[in-house]
Amino acid sequence: MKTTPWYKPYFDRLSSMSLAIALLVVLGLASTIGTVLLQNQEQADYLIKFGPLWYSVFISLGLFDMYHTPWFIGLLVFLMISLSVCLWRNVPRMLKEMRSRKLVITDKALKRFHHLHHWQLKHANVESSEKLILGTLNDWEIKRGEDNGRTYIRGDKGRFNKVGYILVHSAILVVLIGGWIGAQYGFRGTMSVVENGTDNTIGFLKGTKTEHLKMPFEIRCDDFFIDFYPTGMPKEFRSTLSIIDNGKVVIDHKDIIVNEPLYYKGVRIYQASFGDGGSSIKLKLYDLTTGKIRTVDTEVYQTWRDPKSGISLEITNFRPYNIENMANPGEPKDFKDLGPAIEYVVRGPNIKSVKVKSFMKPFEMNGQNRGHLIMVSMSGEDRDYQPFALGLDFTQPNDWKLYRSFIKALGKQKGARDQKANFAAFSQAMKSVFGDKRPDDFQEMGMRVIQGMNNLSALPWPFIPILDSFDQKYYTGLELAQDPGMNIVWIGSAMLVIGLCFMFYVPHRKLWVVLSPVGKGVEVTLGAMSNRNKLGFELEFNQLLTKLDEALQPENNSGSAS
Amino acid sequence: MNAITAPRITLEGINRGLPGFARFCTYIGAIIGIASYAKFGPDGYGDDGLLFFLTASSFSWIGIGALAGLASGSVTAMLKPSVTEWVFSRNVISWLDGALLMILLATVEAFFEPGQSLINYNDQSNLLSGSIIMTMNITFLASALLYITYLFAPASIVGKLATASAWVGVYSGGSALLLRWYESYMLDTDIGHAPVSNLYEVFILMFCVTTVIYLSLERRYQARAMGAFVLPLVSAGVFFGIWLSSHGHADIKPLVPALQSYWMKIHVPMNFVGYGSFAVACGAGMAYLTREWLELRGASSKLLAVFPSLEQLDQLAYKAVAIGFPAFTLATILGAAWASEAWGGYWSWDPKETWALIVWLTYGAYLHVRVSHGWQGRPLAWWTVAGFLVTVFCFIGVNMYLSGLHSYGRL
Ligand code: HEM
Repeated sequence: MKTTPWYKPYFDRLSSMSLAIALLVVLGLASTIGTVLLQNQEQADYLIKFGPLWYSVFISLGLFDMYHTPWFIGLLVFLMISLSVCLWRNVPRMLKEMRSRKLVITDKALKRFHHLHHWQLKHANVESSEKLILGTLNDWEIKRGEDNGRTYIRGDKGRFNKVGYILVHSAILVVLIGGWIGAQYGFRGTMSVVENGTDNTIGFLKGTKTEHLKMPFEIRCDDFFIDFYPTGMPKEFRSTLSIIDNGKVVIDHKDIIVNEPLYYKGVRIYQASFGDGGSSIKLKLYDLTTGKIRTVDTEVYQTWRDPKSGISLEITNFRPYNIENMANPGEPKDFKDLGPAIEYVVRGPNIKSVKVKSFMKPFEMNGQNRGHLIMVSMSGEDRDYQPFALGLDFTQPNDWKLYRSFIKALGKQKGARDQKANFAAFSQAMKSVFGDKRPDDFQEMGMRVIQGMNNLSALPWPFIPILDSFDQKYYTGLELAQDPGMNIVWIGSAMLVIGLCFMFYVPHRKLWVVLSPVGKGVEVTLGAMSNRNKLGFELEFNQLLTKLDEALQPENNSGSAS
Repeated sequence: MNAITAPRITLEGINRGLPGFARFCTYIGAIIGIASYAKFGPDGYGDDGLLFFLTASSFSWIGIGALAGLASGSVTAMLKPSVTEWVFSRNVISWLDGALLMILLATVEAFFEPGQSLINYNDQSNLLSGSIIMTMNITFLASALLYITYLFAPASIVGKLATASAWVGVYSGGSALLLRWYESYMLDTDIGHAPVSNLYEVFILMFCVTTVIYLSLERRYQARAMGAFVLPLVSAGVFFGIWLSSHGHADIKPLVPALQSYWMKIHVPMNFVGYGSFAVACGAGMAYLTREWLELRGASSKLLAVFPSLEQLDQLAYKAVAIGFPAFTLATILGAAWASEAWGGYWSWDPKETWALIVWLTYGAYLHVRVSHGWQGRPLAWWTVAGFLVTVFCFIGVNMYLSGLHSYGRL
């Protein structure tokens, strides 16, 4: 008697299907958690969202970076162990089964077949019947022999079905190993390179902290180009990059776009995003109290502070195109480019800080110049932008002049604030700016100035900043990745797909034909089975029966009987 | 042979032997022609619009491919007649015929398209594909009703009408998508792209794939009662599609840079072969549960006779999963391949990816339960239904509730 080794029960447990199913289900549930709880966000956001109690529970389980927690990786390791044991136990048996094709089958075993058929051939001999049958089974892999006076034919199709099992299950192992190698020895991070700048360090999230890694080469961004659709959606962004290794330019002016990365020294360089790289901005500040105009030179991402009022402008973004759908809801779309715009945050003593988007060009509607427009977001969120018309077109110096004279003239109309007084003040202002020669568009201008009069006083700031000119500079957002395990993953994937095809589409079908002489005739028994695709096999078996019936017809005119 | 099987034999006749095999090789040749045109043609892949406008060069690549396929197929068949019985060719040929018919249909439809001057991006309401999709919606809804009626009137012509209208739905939906592809190039060659880029488009794809998988099972296994479960699922989707289009999600929109890749044309449709099969499996599971419930309630044998047997339904559900699982596996792998080319890593635990994994694990567990515990019947029927709910969440729920890299189809 063989003694069973001590580990046998554990081994059995590890390779049991129940464990496999449990593992698959647990992995599925765990992954669900990872998608419902947004991963790798700001800790403060989590704290606000879940409150201190749940926050501490979640963080101790590592749920905010779940896919890298020991317990999640442990699950994967467990799956690998289980798979290995499973393969270890099953593969030898399956290989043996594939090779040995038992020919002789007992009546008892035959009777248990789902697909079974008998023929009683009254006037026939075994040899000729066998020949007819073999002729019909030409697409089966045949093995024949005699035993105990009976003739046995065994046919196989898809004998290598179990190769599918082996491939699929080892494929999972291979994929996991490839993934592990990638996680262990690879990296993936982002790098932003300003136009004409160079950089050599990537940043990436590790857990919840950002870490940095130096690349063995430098990347220079020679050029960045972005193209838009008429709807304002980006159509293509393209970086021209050079790679400098040890002071030598090894790759010179190579273009990359999304979906077409660059490859150097095992590192793939992807076009991922873009943004403003610190464009130079020139602003004109129109002082609402003195009427003076100042110019300010600054840059995106810089904060300019007015020494007089203590008000600061933090320039957050610059965009050369701002394409918006100008149609009312329900109407056909109407896309228009509103031209360059900057965004800035205004802060200062005694004023509420707001975010502003300010356009360089005046706003035009139905062919009329409606003056400059700004968008104001009280909350600082982009979705809360509300348009605010300044009225004046600041690109035309006369607008500002007229506006100022109008204010002065109104001031002289002591107290009286009726229609007539206003009108008188306005004509006075017109006269002082233009003399007797009224410009052609004076009506439009008048409307603007009156609107400016109504709206500008509502602004809490002492001056209005208007974008005057710019020198744009982009940065290109690159993603750099190296993954030495990737090819292993692809190999595993190929094995997986091929294995699945074997498993599902090449079922192992077996049949036995037993011929035994009975008196002057022959008794023929056909039994067949398939390990998969039972429905399909039913059709196949019926077709086979018809074929055999026809083939055996000459042997026996009395037909078949089951 | 009896009368019922006779017409099938003649149909089989052209699908096997030399006619079938030579045709198969012709199609393969044409497909290789298209692929090589895309890869090596004068304008390269960059402009697959050229395929639509049937320029002389694209036409000659396809034609040469087809002829070469025909010639090599015929020669092979002469030399080695047994190849003509190749199972793969026999199984695939009718699908290829169907695809050709679909393309021809879309070509005919294209002639009825309003002139170029009447088409503009900002108002897409006069594009023809919209009306054809409406036709599809109506026929699918009608088909669902007919299939349900069929359960109670199996002997009448209703069943045949149900099947026929399901086919009409498939062909209108499929050809409308092809037409949309063409229309996208009519709007602007820069905008042109395959119609698998947003939720609305893939919904239509999903209806057609689900229905066509179901119909092929129906034809093979005479399982028409299952249609009364699959087509209502499709109809539910149709209502959602109508909702989407009434909220302005039906417009053709240009592609963001991340989607401008030939991978999109492979990855997305492959995914829907998976989703569609899982929908059919769910239909089979529901049919199973219904039949079982009817049996328990002692329903009339006439009603029960319409249904396939419990064992057959169980097998049909398995069959559908067996189509879907490998397809879905392949689709996920293709997605990973694309991600590694576009995002810098084949797996990012993005919600969509993770949910694809969850779907995959769900059906993986289903297959194991089936093999090991000898589970069959009711629990597995429920499993297919639950599995489909998981699939639906992966397909729509993720877009609605979770954000991530895959947010192209956001609602
Ligand atoms: C992610 C992991 C796994 C996947 C994707 C997978 C996939 C599959 C598939 C598709 C089948 C075929 C089912 C069918 O033909 O209907 C199968 C069968 C099987 N699996 Fe797995 N499996 C996995 C893990 C495991 C593990 C961990 C074990 C063992 C503990 C295991 C043991 C088996 C066995 C014994 C069979 C039956 C083989 C046969 O007799 O045909 N599997 N697996």
